[in-house]
Amino acid sequence: MRKHAVWLAVFFALLLVPAFKLEGYYYRTLSMIFLWIGLASAWNLTSGFTGYIDFGAVAYFGIGNYATALSMTKAGVPFFPAIMISGLLSGMVALFIGRYTMKLRGAYFGIATLAFAEAASQIVLEFDRTFHVTIFEGSHGITLPIAHDETFFYYTFLIVAALIVFIAFLTDRNKFGYALKAIKEAENSAELAGIDTQRCKVSVYAVTGVMIGVLGGINAYWLTYISPLDVFSVTHTIHMIIMALFGGIGTVFGPVIGAVVLSLANETLGARLLYTYLLMLGVILVVVVIFLPGGFIGLLSFRRFRK
Amino acid sequence: MALLIQALITGLLMGGVYAAYSSGFSLIFGVMNIVNIFHGELIMIGAFTTYWLYTLYHIDPFLTLPLSIISAGVIGYVIQRFVINRVVEAPPMMSYLCTFGIHLILGNLALLLWSADFRTVTTSYSGIGFSLGPVTIPIARLITFLIAICTTFGVYLFLEKARYGKAIRAASQDKETARLVGIDIKKVYALTFAIGAAITGLAGGLISTHFVIYPQMGLPYTIIAFCVVVLGGMGYIPGALVGGLLLGVIQSLTATYLSSGLSIAITFILLFIILVLKPRGIMGKGIVE
Repeated sequence: MRKHAVWLAVFFALLLVPAFKLEGYYYRTLSMIFLWIGLASAWNLTSGFTGYIDFGAVAYFGIGNYATALSMTKAGVPFFPAIMISGLLSGMVALFIGRYTMKLRGAYFGIATLAFAEAASQIVLEFDRTFHVTIFEGSHGITLPIAHDETFFYYTFLIVAALIVFIAFLTDRNKFGYALKAIKEAENSAELAGIDTQRCKVSVYAVTGVMIGVLGGINAYWLTYISPLDVFSVTHTIHMIIMALFGGIGTVFGPVIGAVVLSLANETLGARLLYTYLLMLGVILVVVVIFLPGGFIGLLSFRRFRK
Repeated sequence: MALLIQALITGLLMGGVYAAYSSGFSLIFGVMNIVNIFHGELIMIGAFTTYWLYTLYHIDPFLTLPLSIISAGVIGYVIQRFVINRVVEAPPMMSYLCTFGIHLILGNLALLLWSADFRTVTTSYSGIGFSLGPVTIPIARLITFLIAICTTFGVYLFLEKARYGKAIRAASQDKETARLVGIDIKKVYALTFAIGAAITGLAGGLISTHFVIYPQMGLPYTIIAFCVVVLGGMGYIPGALVGGLLLGVIQSLTATYLSSGLSIAITFILLFIILVLKPRGIMGKGIVE
């Protein structure tokens, strides 16, 4: 229990950080870390717990971004209702996509979701040009109004990310979470034991969709400019996967650790040497899969086990 | 009407190439149950082999095809032997996270080496075709198509008739029994991967003769390969041929009558419908996990 108290203390300490009136750069970096903690944890909730690796999670991020951007600029909806719309819409799309893709096992699911994300990106990019309308603005992207200061986003990201980690924490301990883990271990046996596996998988996938969608909505207002190639970039999915895997896939705090480490790596290396950085991510992925399938957290518990 | 026929022919010619590299994808999946996410990168390697030999030494792209085959085949063999063999017995989740990592490594290594520029192989006969009534058939594409179709048939015959081909089929049907009758499974896996990669390298070389190539070209080709084998049935080689031709025609019709930018979107919608309605493929002979 003491271990969890540490995480709680970290959260309260982070709430107090703005009292020190730091420079904008630190707020931006911390906000970015919170965003990734949220994304990696949300991704882990479906893929880590059930073992269904979602290669198209960025689709919900993109949908969230666009839903907030469009409802704020075209319909004049205020920010908070707008991110609710983002979450709702992403969740509904995830419910629909999950209903069909979650029937597929393993790699079929992976590629189907990957193709879905690529298709979503292309549709947003090409829709206006193909049908001669102006909705998504194609590759021009959308510019959002600038309104709030850095601390506003700092708190919004912090609270949403903490909420997502808290939900993962609860799921790890309740019956629903046990059902998800049973699916990962032996899906057919889980079904024989009376678990409605399809229902569980689709529900958790929709919850993940809502979470990623809300984060996408905040992201749009934070960046104030979005374009399809940015917010639907497959690199975002790669990050979610690698953060969760690096920290410890299927654990509650693994994705948090992975997100902190890799966000900082991205901040220092990714901005200047993108290809080298992505190459490095590939190497990490292969090395972790072969030598360290439990991730960082797995390494820690293994040590403790040996003592 | 001429437009329709032209679109159909263009689609069939492209579909032949799809069939060739998708049969490699299907073979790897059928034998090892591995979805090879760096499949598109093998195409890129085959294409760049042709490109460099043409640009630096002015060797005709069709003459350098054996080198495309060898380069992709060797890379496939090495990766399988030293990396994927370690995770082939692990849960499938691990093996495709692993191939995803290799996709990142190969793609970004190529970006570092060759930059993100778009490149083309322009030969003296590029763009030359012959007319057949109202439609034009580009010569390079026709040769490409014929080589691709022959390759697909070749793979099929190899699996059916050759001694090694039989070992591969035995390993894919029952790993344990194959081991008992003295088949070295890891060796068969490496060989299978090398063959799958080699066909893909060949397809890459063929693609370079009439398409733009760049280091990040891989992913869309991987998605197409997946769609083709889902259409035809996973692990069933003749299915790759049918799926490839069908997808080529569908994409060509989309590009002609709707928008070329939407081809991946159409591919996905098709993939989605087939996965939901006929997970064993349109011919009903695929493997379902």
